[in-house]
Amino acid sequence: MATGVEKTYRTGADAVGALRGIDLSVSAGELVAVMGPSGSGKTTLLNCLAGLDDIDAGTVLLDGESIHEMSDARRTRHRAETMGFIFQAFNLIPVFTATENAELPLLLAGRPAKEARAAARDTLERVGLGHRLDHRPTELSGGEQQRVAVARALAGRPLLVWADEPTGNLDSETAAAVMSLLRELHAEGLTLILVTHDEGIGAAAPRRIVVRDGQVVADERRAGAVSS
Amino acid sequence: MTVVLVLSLPFLVVLARRPVLRRLAVRNARRRPREAALVLLGSLLGTAIITGSFIVGDTLEASIRRSAFTQLGPVDEVIQASGADAATKVAASLADLPPKRPTAPTPAAGIAGIAGIDGVVPMVRLDAAVATTGARRRAEPQAQVLEVHFDDARRFGGDPAATGMEGPTPATDAAALGKDLARTLGVDEGATIEIFAYGNRRSFTVDRVLPRLGVAGFHLGQGSESPNVFVALGTLAALAAGAPPEAAPPTSLVLVSNAGGVIAGAEGTARVKGQLESALAGTPAAVRPAKQDLLRDADTAGKDFTQLFGSIGFFSVLAGILLLVNIFVMLAEERKTELGMLRAVGLRRADAVGAFSLEGWLYALVSSAIGTIAGLGVGRVIVAVAAGIFAGDGISLELRYAASLGSVQTGFVIGFVISLVTVVLTSVRVARLNVIRAIRDLPEPTVHRQRLVSLVLGALVMVAGAGLTVSGVSGNEPHAALAGPALAGLGLVPLAGRLVPRRPLVTTVSAVVLAWGVLCFDLAAGVFGNPEVTVFVVDGVVLVAAAVALVTPNQDVLGRGLRNLGRRLGGRSGKGEDNLSLRLGLAYPLARRFRTGMILTMYALVVFTLASITLFSHVFAGQVDDFTADVAGGADVRVLSNPANPVPPEAVRALPGVRDLAALATVEAEFDLIGASGAGGAADEGFEPWPVAGFGEDYVELGAPALDKYPPRYKSEAEAYRAVLADPSLIIVDDFFLQDGGGPPEAALALGSEMVLRDPRSGRSQRLRVGALAESGFDAPIALVSIESLRAVAGDQVVANHLRVATRPGVDPQELAESLDGRFLANGADAVSFKKAVSDGLESQNQFFRLMQGYLALGLVVGIAGLGVVMVRAVRERRRQIGVLRALGFGTSSVRRAFLVESAFVALEGILIGVLLAVLSTWRLLTSGSFGEGLEFTIPWLQLGLLVLLAFGASLLATLAPAQQASRIRPAVALRLAD
Repeated sequence: MATGVEKTYRTGADAVGALRGIDLSVSAGELVAVMGPSGSGKTTLLNCLAGLDDIDAGTVLLDGESIHEMSDARRTRHRAETMGFIFQAFNLIPVFTATENAELPLLLAGRPAKEARAAARDTLERVGLGHRLDHRPTELSGGEQQRVAVARALAGRPLLVWADEPTGNLDSETAAAVMSLLRELHAEGLTLILVTHDEGIGAAAPRRIVVRDGQVVADERRAGAVSS
Repeated sequence: MTVVLVLSLPFLVVLARRPVLRRLAVRNARRRPREAALVLLGSLLGTAIITGSFIVGDTLEASIRRSAFTQLGPVDEVIQASGADAATKVAASLADLPPKRPTAPTPAAGIAGIAGIDGVVPMVRLDAAVATTGARRRAEPQAQVLEVHFDDARRFGGDPAATGMEGPTPATDAAALGKDLARTLGVDEGATIEIFAYGNRRSFTVDRVLPRLGVAGFHLGQGSESPNVFVALGTLAALAAGAPPEAAPPTSLVLVSNAGGVIAGAEGTARVKGQLESALAGTPAAVRPAKQDLLRDADTAGKDFTQLFGSIGFFSVLAGILLLVNIFVMLAEERKTELGMLRAVGLRRADAVGAFSLEGWLYALVSSAIGTIAGLGVGRVIVAVAAGIFAGDGISLELRYAASLGSVQTGFVIGFVISLVTVVLTSVRVARLNVIRAIRDLPEPTVHRQRLVSLVLGALVMVAGAGLTVSGVSGNEPHAALAGPALAGLGLVPLAGRLVPRRPLVTTVSAVVLAWGVLCFDLAAGVFGNPEVTVFVVDGVVLVAAAVALVTPNQDVLGRGLRNLGRRLGGRSGKGEDNLSLRLGLAYPLARRFRTGMILTMYALVVFTLASITLFSHVFAGQVDDFTADVAGGADVRVLSNPANPVPPEAVRALPGVRDLAALATVEAEFDLIGASGAGGAADEGFEPWPVAGFGEDYVELGAPALDKYPPRYKSEAEAYRAVLADPSLIIVDDFFLQDGGGPPEAALALGSEMVLRDPRSGRSQRLRVGALAESGFDAPIALVSIESLRAVAGDQVVANHLRVATRPGVDPQELAESLDGRFLANGADAVSFKKAVSDGLESQNQFFRLMQGYLALGLVVGIAGLGVVMVRAVRERRRQIGVLRALGFGTSSVRRAFLVESAFVALEGILIGVLLAVLSTWRLLTSGSFGEGLEFTIPWLQLGLLVLLAFGASLLATLAPAQQASRIRPAVALRLAD
């Protein structure tokens, strides 16, 4: 739950208010699409809610605990244990194989190496990359890389996944496949918050939040939306 | 400097006429000031090392050349004859020459008629002991007592100020002391001194102290000091009148000054010497081109030391070149997208090369300029340290820092050209990119198909390498024999790449080249006997290149092992994140093979040299007993004394601590190698001064020094010595015979080599053949002939002035030596135990080794700077990845740890490759017999451990700042900037 979250970027004497008093509450198991034009503050909102970035005012509570009051080490640990991330540019570690990338969060969460490896392989199989386990990112297509990123976000069975434009770099067919996969996982109980430009994805999401000039201008829940 | 201007011209044109390229180059250089500073540091050190080596050469040359003023002044040639009255006889033989101008009626007036001469002055000299009087006496056992007419000497050469002669010729019982001798004795005007000669002692009052300049500083031996004392004319003849038959007479000299100044006068030596020799034909005298010899020695020493320091420093220069290549490849990678965009909007490939090269030109220009200034400092430090070493050495050479404009310019030009060529070639390579792949920042695809051009090049390189190998081995040319197989292997890789998978191919080829580099000193001993310093350089480069080529394709095996180890340790400690840091830290260097290979090579090159010097120093220092046994034979103490007043052998033999002794006669002689100068004894262009000793049967019976080689027909060393005793045409020499300059022996003589021995006083000569080769030692240089053979040439100069004494059991040889010094002070006794002589020699050598290590440590700075640059750039390159890792839960300390693991892995691998190669090659080299038989090889674990720790610690320190910077990257900022 976010209350009165504010974030200002300062460049020299200039200050730009990226988030201006955001109030927001997301329940477990929701699929929320955050939408808005470029520069509206979508990604900043995601970063601040996930604890990747500090905020200037307000609070963000995750399971009743204020994430920004945690020490950096604890916040990092918390992310490793409970969250998954998917980025537009995939952001895989180029010197690691698909399996090694996917098992990263598990190892960071302190899971035994064998268990992490098995979970990573299972998840990669599930996203259709069973034949690409030992390939490095440079040896994979864009769609395959994003599927590795999805597998990395999900392999540790997190409670919450943050996805920043997960289909932004993909062609429409691959994008549809990735979204289908995410919806499938959401249907299994995963909380998913995704930032997107794609009206189609937004329209299909059960809940749609529109951000403009650092403020939430619309928060729509649609019963008829496709959730799986 | 013309080279710099010509090479800079295209860049100046681009600067003036291509604003876009200028903007790109200048702004890119300014954009990253810290990296620019590291680039400059890495490349300026190369220039500093090169300039420093030139400065060392300049200093050596200038210091020796300075003796032309201080120890010769107007003296260009010296006519030597034996006996106090010989100068008059010599002059008489020249008296028929028509005088060119009226001269004072001196005994040598006739010589002045020779064209090109502007002065002559006769002089008589004698080596004698000089001491102070009183209770606390100070003595100089090897002083030079001189007689000369002071007015004549002042007129000599036309510039009285250059002669250093002040006042009238000393009166009877008065002496004019040279500054050096006055300092040694601690006396000044008015003091009383005693001169010991021919068994007599005579007191003199010091009436003045003369500077070390010109005739006053006259000295023909090595070293900068002139321990002179001038006495009244006839004093030496009077002393010699009662000389015992076993004392050498004084030497008569006629000093000759050529027209022209101190340096310019030497240019006429060849002509003047020829005329003098024609005039002196049939007279028992020889002409020595003293100043020409000195200037040539200065030139040789300067070049030798420049080569020595330049060769050793080459490793660091090479490391600097690799650093530049690495930096420019990284720059290109970082700017790949930007470059792709520029190419897309119309920047031609040549322009891309131009923009990169222009930036490199700016770096090259600035770094060469700063590097040259730094080189002056490096040279000054080396000279300051070396001055202490040379001052403590037997020859006592005064080093005075000198830097010629030519050397400074040459250092700058070489540094600039190396930097510029490196960056231009690298720029040409990196500018070849696919525009789309560059814009999308996609990796270049692996090309499996062999291009025709690489096949042709491979074939050419292989053929060239094979040719070099064959010519090197058959022609005894070690450089070619070393580089040939490496080149052949390099050419073979692209050629055989179609048939054999790359990894086993590269592994096998590099392993074979590596094995050759290590074992060549054993396998082709004939080719690699007495290797020059440059052979070590080529060997080092070949070894390091082969080792890095061997390791690079097999890094994953090492990485796997370390990861497994980390997993096991991590699993045990329960710290999965630590293991992840290890995996991440290893993953980057294992994946970026080119970059890692470059850093490995830089580290390995420098550490190889440092470790090799450490090993050499340690092994030699540990051979005191062996070297002593080789040099001493059956003796324990060596006693030198003045030939005019030699220590009586029987007096020594009668001492209670003495078991036995052998007497030799050591005289200053001249040698001309037949075949080396091509002139043999017919012309004396190639005659060089070198001491020679005459020995007898007692020398063999007591136990002579060890021999390195002797004809197989002799069953023992003693038999070989006796063969030389029996045959007056045989001589025994060692590896250092007639060697000028510094460093290891350059070209040793072989058995049967021929030469001419000449007495510089009488001009008599004898043709000799090498009958045996002695082990090189740390005592006096060895050239031995039978005493009869020496007497036939040097006549009355041959007196027993060199004793080898064997002590009785329980007697400390050095204590005995010190007691002999005191007891036979009047004889100019200079006694030392062989063990101390060897220890002192080794200590001097070790000091020199330490100096070289300090010099090479600059190379280590290059390597560390290289690693620093790589890590700084790595942090920038991986911002996004670090952001992701932090988002996923990677802690700040884990990020820091991953970077430290990465640099530690690369640095340690490079350091260990360097140390391992040094141990292997030094082991084979030292036990192959190239440095003498019987060297015991041991590893200085402590010193090598310290070297590893120091290099490793410094590397980690250099990485600490970028690692810390990486750990502070905030995930959202990194991701935001990246996306």
